[in-house]
Amino acid sequence: MAIDNLGTKLKESLRKLTRGVFVDKKQIEELVKDIQRALLSADVNVKQVFELTSKIKQRALEEKEPKGIDKRTHIVNIVYEELVNFLGKEEHGIKIENKKPFKIMMVGLFGSGKTTSIGKLAKYYSKRGYKIGTVGLDVHRPAAPEQLKQVCDAIKVDCFIDKKEKDALNIYKKFEKEFKNYDILIIDTAGRDALSQDLIKEIRELNNLIKPDERLLVISADIGQAAQKQAEAFHESCNITGVLVTKMDGTAKAGGSLSACSVTKAPIKFIGIGEKVDDLEVYNPEGFVSRLLGMGDLKSLLEKAREAITEEQAQELGSKFIKGDFNLIDLYQQMEAMSKMGPLGKIMEMIPGMGQLELPKDFLKVQEDKLKRWKHAMQSMTKKELEDPTEISRSRIDRISLGSGVSGKEVRELIKQYKMSKKLMKSLGNVDDPSKLMRKFKGKLPKGFMSM
Amino acid sequence: MFKFLKEKLKKTVENISNKFKKEEIKEEVKPKAEIKEIKIEKIQEKKKEIKGEVVEGKIKEKKGFFEVVKEKITTTTIEGDKFEELFYDLELVLLENNVAVEVVEKIKNDLKRYLVDKPIKRGKIEETIEDSLRYSIGNLFIDTINFLEQVKAKKPYVICFVGINGGGKTTTIAKVANYLQNNGLNCVIAAADTFRAASIEQLEEHADKLGVKLIKHDYGADPAAVAFDAIEHAKAKGKDVVLIDTAGRLHSNEDLINEMKKIVRVAKPDMTIFIGESITGNDCVLQAQKFSEAVKLDGIILTKADIDEKGGAAISIGYITKKPILFLGVGQKYNDLKEFNKEEIIKSIGL
Repeated sequence: MAIDNLGTKLKESLRKLTRGVFVDKKQIEELVKDIQRALLSADVNVKQVFELTSKIKQRALEEKEPKGIDKRTHIVNIVYEELVNFLGKEEHGIKIENKKPFKIMMVGLFGSGKTTSIGKLAKYYSKRGYKIGTVGLDVHRPAAPEQLKQVCDAIKVDCFIDKKEKDALNIYKKFEKEFKNYDILIIDTAGRDALSQDLIKEIRELNNLIKPDERLLVISADIGQAAQKQAEAFHESCNITGVLVTKMDGTAKAGGSLSACSVTKAPIKFIGIGEKVDDLEVYNPEGFVSRLLGMGDLKSLLEKAREAITEEQAQELGSKFIKGDFNLIDLYQQMEAMSKMGPLGKIMEMIPGMGQLELPKDFLKVQEDKLKRWKHAMQSMTKKELEDPTEISRSRIDRISLGSGVSGKEVRELIKQYKMSKKLMKSLGNVDDPSKLMRKFKGKLPKGFMSM
Repeated sequence: MFKFLKEKLKKTVENISNKFKKEEIKEEVKPKAEIKEIKIEKIQEKKKEIKGEVVEGKIKEKKGFFEVVKEKITTTTIEGDKFEELFYDLELVLLENNVAVEVVEKIKNDLKRYLVDKPIKRGKIEETIEDSLRYSIGNLFIDTINFLEQVKAKKPYVICFVGINGGGKTTTIAKVANYLQNNGLNCVIAAADTFRAASIEQLEEHADKLGVKLIKHDYGADPAAVAFDAIEHAKAKGKDVVLIDTAGRLHSNEDLINEMKKIVRVAKPDMTIFIGESITGNDCVLQAQKFSEAVKLDGIILTKADIDEKGGAAISIGYITKKPILFLGVGQKYNDLKEFNKEEIIKSIGL
């Protein structure tokens, strides 16, 4: 599939850029085109894509790199910065104000998943101790009120519907007095084509009557270039405050929802990730990026791309590990590179096989702190000590401890761990298959340290 | 549908040929100068040739020479590099109109094959590009089948509707039932979506309004069993068509895809129709592909075609599944089901 390859392609051109001796205009243009293709095939609006990439291109061509950073690293930085700017950095949920009721109105196209999402939202907030009520104002689609009722019954949430009444405004008015007994009121409206005047008139009237605190646009992850116009029209009719993206458990890259965000200036607040009522998550931009571009965590990817250690160096190091003759300098380099790649948990997820390892809850955190202290200790060692840690005597340990502020116990631990892992590496011998390697590790890891 | 694409496509093709013409102007000057020279040469050569021809008998070859000259004056070619540059705009127009990237690639490759390094008549650049485009896009659609005729061929004729959540299966079934009834065929509907809340009630309301028999079980029942019962009912009561509504499912959900396979295995439908949304973006390619891998699809109905004026999904889904598009859903009423016509669509794109 072409789409699956896009992430790979983008990765390749980034790598090409970071490896090449020169960075020329052609290379930048190629990179820009790859970014364009990746975003377009993820259904991001064409205009937005071009605004973004022309910014990247302009900066890459014109900006002079800051001192101490080479041109290539700088371009990778630009790409990252602009993508982050484009996609937003923060997580968004809904801030529930303390008023009774806090009203959330759901609007969207037919079949985008409004009613299902109401069930999920109601569950999400009732789990957090709020008293939830819902009201069904979809008077157009057959059996829409029943659907809401069944959804709400299943999670034991009160639901107000009137199957006979064909005027949405009347239904709301009819129950209005009861709503103040609830912390949150979620309002279901009929699915509509935002370009159809009658239905838009209805939503406008509802908005004026209800005055919801939060107007969520429900949008399907697989929507294409039509997203822009639809979002525009919805926004015009009721001033959207947030976006809920559904069907994120499919394969769609959900770029269409970004158009909705850019038009409405409203952030994505939740994503629907499955058929069950618990399948709702607060939007997390990082995960979204990786989905959009069809590759793993973008941040770590870019960090990796600008990593100081080149492929050859890494290979050399790898063979040293296997032979068992690596020293503390190598270890230090590895740690340095690793700390650049982000928190250990993330790195673990990226290593095949590591994701399945069941580790004690705070194991990674402890390891991370330990690594940091070991790094400090190593900074206080002489070159000779780093090259041959077996030479480190007791008095040397005291000196290192004083110099680095790391306790002598911890320095000894570091040396012990070094010896252990050296032995471990040797015993692993010529294991080619990384999954086998992981299995061997499995027994030894909790005690050992993260030298890989 | 397609309003947008039509306008844009026209403009872009015009732009491309204009751009091309501009670049040609400089080059055109040269050949003209050459003509005079060549003409003079020609006359002289001709004289020689006539003698030579008689002697050497190379009439054909010499004729070829004239033709080459003529062609050089009246035709032009688009070179590979220039093609990429010129057609980038076209690529964008297609993408903007929701044609999936993969399908855009295919169209581009087609055009490349038709246009690059091929002699094109001057003044007919626009026409040639348009022709190629029409040919390429026209070939993406499979010729539609005569739906009614097929349905009438067997009794009961079983049609199974599949698709992802919120695509509009239930509404479409009501429309198809209405269409068949209007054409004198008796329908029974199987409520085999036993998962989604109120899906059965929704069908019930439609069935009541249309006066169609509905076969239903409870929620959580085996959908294959519902389908089976509906078919048995149709056999017993002499109904013409069985329409099976299934739950919406994402193509990425293995279990639900297996469930669908089971329904198809049990019901053995004569026709399985994929319900796709015309507003779906690039994902429609994967959706259509996964569904058609799981079960044998026979046709497609595109819903919500009234919402989207871009129409790219029709092109993409048609191409990926290699199955005919039978109908377009174009509104909320039962009559809003439009027979799909390939020629009409291509015309409406403005080609």
